[in-house]
Parts: sequence; C-alpha cells; structure tokens
Amino acid sequence: MGIRYLKEPKLENPEVVACWPGIGNIGTLAVDTLRAQIGAEAFAEIEPWDLFYPRKLAIRAGVVTRMEFPSSRFHARSVAGRDVMIFLGEEQPAEADRMYAHGRKAEEMGNLVLDVAQRFGCRRIYTSGAAVSLIHHEARPRVWVVATSEGLLKNLRRQENTVLMSEIEGIGGSGSITGLNGLLLGLARRRGMEAACLMGEIPDYLSGVPFPYARASKSVLEVLSRVLGAEMDYGTLNAMIAQVDGFVETIYENLPSPMKERIEQRKLERPSKQEPITEDDAKWIKEHVDELFRKGDKGGERAA
Amino acid sequence: MNSSERETKAEREPLRFFSRPALRSPVLVVAWSEDAGRLGPKVNDYLRRKLGGHTFCEIEPLEFFPMGGVAIENDLAKFPASWFYASPEHDLVLFESSPPSSDWYRFLSLVMDVARDHCHVREVHTVGGMVTISAHTTPRQLVAAFSSTEVKRNLSSYDLVTTFDYETAASQRPTLSSYLLWVAKRRGIPAASLWVPVPFYLAGGEDLKAERRVLQFIDQRLELGIDFRELDQDIKRQNEELAEARAGSAHIEECIAKLESNQGLSEEESLRLVEGIDDFIKRKREQAS
Repeated sequence: MGIRYLKEPKLENPEVVACWPGIGNIGTLAVDTLRAQIGAEAFAEIEPWDLFYPRKLAIRAGVVTRMEFPSSRFHARSVAGRDVMIFLGEEQPAEADRMYAHGRKAEEMGNLVLDVAQRFGCRRIYTSGAAVSLIHHEARPRVWVVATSEGLLKNLRRQENTVLMSEIEGIGGSGSITGLNGLLLGLARRRGMEAACLMGEIPDYLSGVPFPYARASKSVLEVLSRVLGAEMDYGTLNAMIAQVDGFVETIYENLPSPMKERIEQRKLERPSKQEPITEDDAKWIKEHVDELFRKGDKGGERAA
Repeated sequence: MNSSERETKAEREPLRFFSRPALRSPVLVVAWSEDAGRLGPKVNDYLRRKLGGHTFCEIEPLEFFPMGGVAIENDLAKFPASWFYASPEHDLVLFESSPPSSDWYRFLSLVMDVARDHCHVREVHTVGGMVTISAHTTPRQLVAAFSSTEVKRNLSSYDLVTTFDYETAASQRPTLSSYLLWVAKRRGIPAASLWVPVPFYLAGGEDLKAERRVLQFIDQRLELGIDFRELDQDIKRQNEELAEARAGSAHIEECIAKLESNQGLSEEESLRLVEGIDDFIKRKREQAS
C-alpha cells in the first residue's frame, strides 16, 4: 500500500483540505465543489487494494478487463498566490456494512494523507463533516468549528456564520467527530500540525436521508473559500439546494402531524427549549423516506 | 525466492501448514461456504469424498473475521474456517472458506501465495451459484469468466458460456470469486470463475443438477474419472421430490409452470414458492429421519 504519483506538483507550504463521506455528504460536496471551482488537478492517489473492497468489475467477451476501487485522490492548485492541496476520499476504509473507518485502516489512511501533506511542507489542514443539530430545515445552517489549537480556533470563529461547540446550548464544548474527518485532526496534532474540522449543521430529522444536504455544504464552502481566499460561483450549488429543498418539503409534508408541530416549534423557540426528535420519530422517517420518494417518482419528482 | 526465504515469509503470515503434499502442477478449485444452493461447498465435498486427500494448510482467522462471538445456524455454533485440501494422486488442490469480512485483498493474496509458491498451481477455478429466476427443469449452463484470453482459449472446448459482457450494477459489489479472479490476473496466474444459474427456490437448499454440471467440467478438464453414480441417484431423488411438491400444491405447480414458459412471478408468488418448496423438503427430511 502506498501513494502513486501521477505527476510531481510544485507546491510550497500548501493549505490542505481533506474530506471523506459522512452524514449528508456535507463535507465532500463542499470540498468537491471547491476542487472544481478552483480547477485543482489530480496529482496522486492512494493505492486502494489493502484498504477497500472493489466497487465495480468489468468483463468484456468473458475476460476480466477492469476492477474499480473507491478513489482516494490528491489535487492541487495555486489560489490567490497560495498553494492549496485537496484530498477527496470516495469512501472511508470501513469494515463491511459500516460507513466510518476505525482502527488500523483508519489510522493508515489518515497517515498516508498526512505523509503527502508534510512532504510538501503543509502546516495546516482542514477537514469537514456534519453537525447534527436541532435546527429547522429552513434555517441557514451554521458551521461548527473544532481545531487543534486556540489560535486557529479563534481565527475560524471570526469568520461569519461559524460557531464553537462550547457556544451550542446543551453541548458544553464536548463531543466527538466520528470517522476520518475527525481522526485526521488527532493524527495531525500528534505530528505537530494545525488542523480544524468545519461541520455544517443538518437538522436531526434529515440526518438519515439518502441525498446530500447542499445547504450545509454551501455554509461550509463559504467559510473555506474565505479562509483560502478563493472566489466562488455558487450557481451549481444553489441549483442543487433548490432541488434538495423540494425533496425535503416532500418529506416534511408527509410527516405525522405531532412530529411536524414539534419541528415547527423550532422556528419560534430558543434552542435551549428545543428537543431532538424521538427514537420513534427517527424510526418513522427511516422507514418512510424510500416510500415517499417512490410516490415522488410517480408524480414526476425524482430523488438525486 | 529460495526455500528459506519462503519459510521465513510463511512464518510471518497467518498460514498454518500441517504437511507439504507432493504436487506436480495442480489445479486449485476455490469454493465459498456461503453460496447459492451450497454449490461450491458441495462440489468440493464430492471431490473430497470421491478422490480422497487431506487437509494440509489453514489461513488463521484472526485477521480476517470478527472475533466478537460465534454465529449459530440451525442450533449449531459456526466458526470461520479457511482450509486447503490436497489430493496428490489426482494433482488437485481444493480451498474452501467462509467469506472474509475484512482485509480481502490480503486474504486473497494469501490464497494465491499458497497456490503459486507452495503448490505450483497451473490454473485456478472458482465455483459459485448464481441465483436466477428460472425453473429447476431448465438445463444448467456453465458460465465462465477468465483472467485472460489465453485461459479462455484453453477452455474453449468445454461447452462453457464464455462470450458475454458484464459490469457490476450500481447498487452491488463484485463477488469474492470475481475479486479472486482479478487478483489472480494481477499475479499472472491463469484463472477461471465458473458460475451455474441456480433457480431461486433452490438457492437456500441444494441444487444437485448445478453441482453435477460443475463436476462434469472438472472431471473432463482434469481427466479424473469421477464416479457420478451417487450424485445421479441424488439428482433423481431431488427431481422426484420436486415433482411430488408440484403435484401436491396448485400454487407450486402454477409458479413453476409460469417459470417454465418464461413468465415472471410477483414478489408474493416468489415468496410463497420458496416457502412452499422449503416446507415440502423439510417435511420429507423429517419423514426420512
């Protein structure tokens, strides 16, 4: 297992943004949009076979021609005079039937990303994920910020629409970030590198839906682009938000009335008075989302 | 790699050798314990019983299987096992294993290490059942995918279905046998992945016709002279039982007749057919015991 270089980029102390899929694919959508917008080009990839089960086999005329694995690719570009390296993992190297990596494979993957980052003199790394929150889906998602140093934390908190975990009522500044988007912070800290995770808020009742929560991705991208000094065109992301809002409305309209009323209260009450959806509510949503989208298909709407 | 280097490498690996069989240039047949119609394990079991041989190597489970407890199946505790058997007299190696749940590439590479470095295998055949919406009265075809055009050419005279294109569907993942085929290709080991369509209502039990189809190919390819009398008797018995099940249930008869005329079944019809056949076979086994 190792890194395969497609070409040798000229990078000087780049800022690194690394992301793997998680709830609502908030981070990966934000980082992939950043990659596309700045025109970052792939220069290296992590060899997949020790980390992943393959995703696709191709046979032509009875002979195996190709086996595809989830990609784990490094990209680079200079933005406003500063070098930016972007790492995007198509999957976390998880055990069968799990979404998040843990244990040896997670550590190996994280260290490989940091090896490449350090090789080019990187000192600061950003990851991104989801913050499951007691917000209403019409609210603008904030970006929760966690960092490995006070300095970076303060710097990020100064950005518009960011919030610290300690400022979220009922949390008290403590919690955890599951999977590689969290683990990378710890691994970076051990190597003396600064790192931060930007987590876009997603309503708790939408945390299990099978489409990317683009509103939160936009919030994350707004923060990232300001930090990196990159100019963004949000046209594509806004179109996706409009589409996702349609799906969310479909779900919302079909929620049982008591659940809908409780969620509606979130528009009016202070956060401290709000309560998460119950286990029964979560179970109901999980069981009915597919059914709702099948109904949507008949009416001409389609899930992403 | 010289023999002492090989020994050192093996010591580091989770391979446990019980003996070193004297093999010339054998063929390796690979089966997974979880298979439609239990096809792979039944093929290997028949080969072991008819050709003899012994267990000579094990892949230790710790790295590849969760050790958080034990699975229970039909009141019996199961434990993951990955065994190699050798029949030196027939120059044949069999491998049968539970499907690993992690570190798949390393696991499959170990299988290939044993095949190439320890057994000097000339060809690898994986065996698997392919669940299909078809009737048990349909003749069983043997579908084969190959690691190279050369292997395809070498096996072209064995009445195999070989000319097809395939891509894994978006909601699925490649099978472990396909993954092994690809690993063999990477290592330059000639390999073929053999698949027999198994009617869905036999997938949870056994499909003896499918078993015979695979064994017939192996018999021809390796010129083993397998005695098929026992299996042919079992096939006759299974055919009679299925005919009895049809005669005793209008629903089973109607569903199988539809399948025989290439008509589809609804989800409910399919479920009832599976339940009907399972119940019938269970009753027959209880009566027999």
